[in-house]
Amino acid sequence: MYRQGDVLIMPVAEDSVPARALEDAGEPRDGRGRLVLALGEVTGHAHAVQGPGRLVRERGEFGPMLLHLPQGGRVVHEEHAAIPLPKGWFRVIRQREYVPGSVARVVAD
Amino acid sequence: MTTPTDALTGSVTDPEAAAAGAADAPAGLTKLTPLSTDDWRAVAAATGAADRAAAEAGVRLAYRAAGLAEPRRVLWAESPCAAVALLQTSENLGRSVREEVRTGPWEAERARAHEELGPAGYAALWSATGGRLWEPTRALTDRIRAGIVEELGDDPKLRLLLLDAVLGQHDAAWLAALAGRGTALDGLAEVARHASWWWPYEETVVICERPVELHRDEAGRLDRGDGPALAFPDGFALYAWRGMPVPADFLAGLADLTPDRIRAEENAELRRVMLEFYGYDRYLADSGAEPVHRDETGVLWRIALDGDEDVAMVEVVNSTAEPDGTFRTYWLRVPPGTRTAREGVAWTFGVTAQEYMPVRQT
Repeated sequence: MYRQGDVLIMPVAEDSVPARALEDAGEPRDGRGRLVLALGEVTGHAHAVQGPGRLVRERGEFGPMLLHLPQGGRVVHEEHAAIPLPKGWFRVIRQREYVPGSVARVVAD
Repeated sequence: MTTPTDALTGSVTDPEAAAAGAADAPAGLTKLTPLSTDDWRAVAAATGAADRAAAEAGVRLAYRAAGLAEPRRVLWAESPCAAVALLQTSENLGRSVREEVRTGPWEAERARAHEELGPAGYAALWSATGGRLWEPTRALTDRIRAGIVEELGDDPKLRLLLLDAVLGQHDAAWLAALAGRGTALDGLAEVARHASWWWPYEETVVICERPVELHRDEAGRLDRGDGPALAFPDGFALYAWRGMPVPADFLAGLADLTPDRIRAEENAELRRVMLEFYGYDRYLADSGAEPVHRDETGVLWRIALDGDEDVAMVEVVNSTAEPDGTFRTYWLRVPPGTRTAREGVAWTFGVTAQEYMPVRQT
């Protein structure tokens, strides 16, 4: 399990990945060829992965998302140190905050 | 004003003229180059005076593409609210042609894209383009509609007028997905690039100026503590703090908040805004709150409020140092039943305290 700011990257066993996700074409890469795990709407800062891999969005605006890195990779962000990741599948989770009487909202750093 | 109708029609229907038009766009119409999703994001957030000539040229193009005569009258309004007020009292507008001008071409383009790309390809196109812009623009237009209803009073006729609107710059999401693939949506895209909402009727079109102020937070929600988060030139405005609608005079009172004033506020949502504005950390210090639990993930705090659930918060220290070498501390509100700091931090990521075990954090 790895954490970069408001994003948690949790290893998941390949045999527990839904078949749907194994076949999914995955999210498109950004203009710089990166897989964007989370984007800061105003600063444009992003938690992103370079290199081979796929990001599969399961449902909802902010995920959950599954990340597949067949050769491992590195998650980078403008304000946080990069984190090397081993190969495999990961669940990408955005941090949220408790909001009384409404749905929890996502934290964006 | 005079219209270079022939030149415009030529550039759309005649391939040679279209090629020439790409290099030398007719007066009043910008070059119809497809925009990227980022460009459309900027269109949706654009503020400042509309380019009226370009927007009107776009309107005429959209009418002609729909096989309609150009509108006889173009009226400009300073805000969507002013436009609705104008429409409520206007006569001889003719019928609404929104269906022909906007919905028909949009549905045809969507069907064409769907057929060409297949369901998976279309889903990929949407998620790479419009899907990224959908939530923030939809939230904004919902708020504007609500603001108009609040300003002008709720009645069925007004609701129908709101349904007749074409959202101009706020149609950016679906334009990002579908515009630029052919010429069918060029007129709509052109208006969107240069103006805000518009109302197409057979005889008359009403077009709105863009906002003069738009302030959003990192998550794209309307957010401003010292003035309107969204304002149009005529003063029609929306006030919000981190997305939550607040009354205009509420913000003025935020500057001299006290812990007592916050405790006394009966509206739980406004009290939350007050707490956020005042700063949880400052409130914790001023109200003499004591930490409830401390572990390697952070510190758990609790504030009891009369007639409301407790405010439970985890205090977390950023793992990456700021440029000046200090570590930024931040507070996240967690469910009131939280018992330990670890449980609270784990909750913010939707995992259990036992599962939350980062081997590396930055």
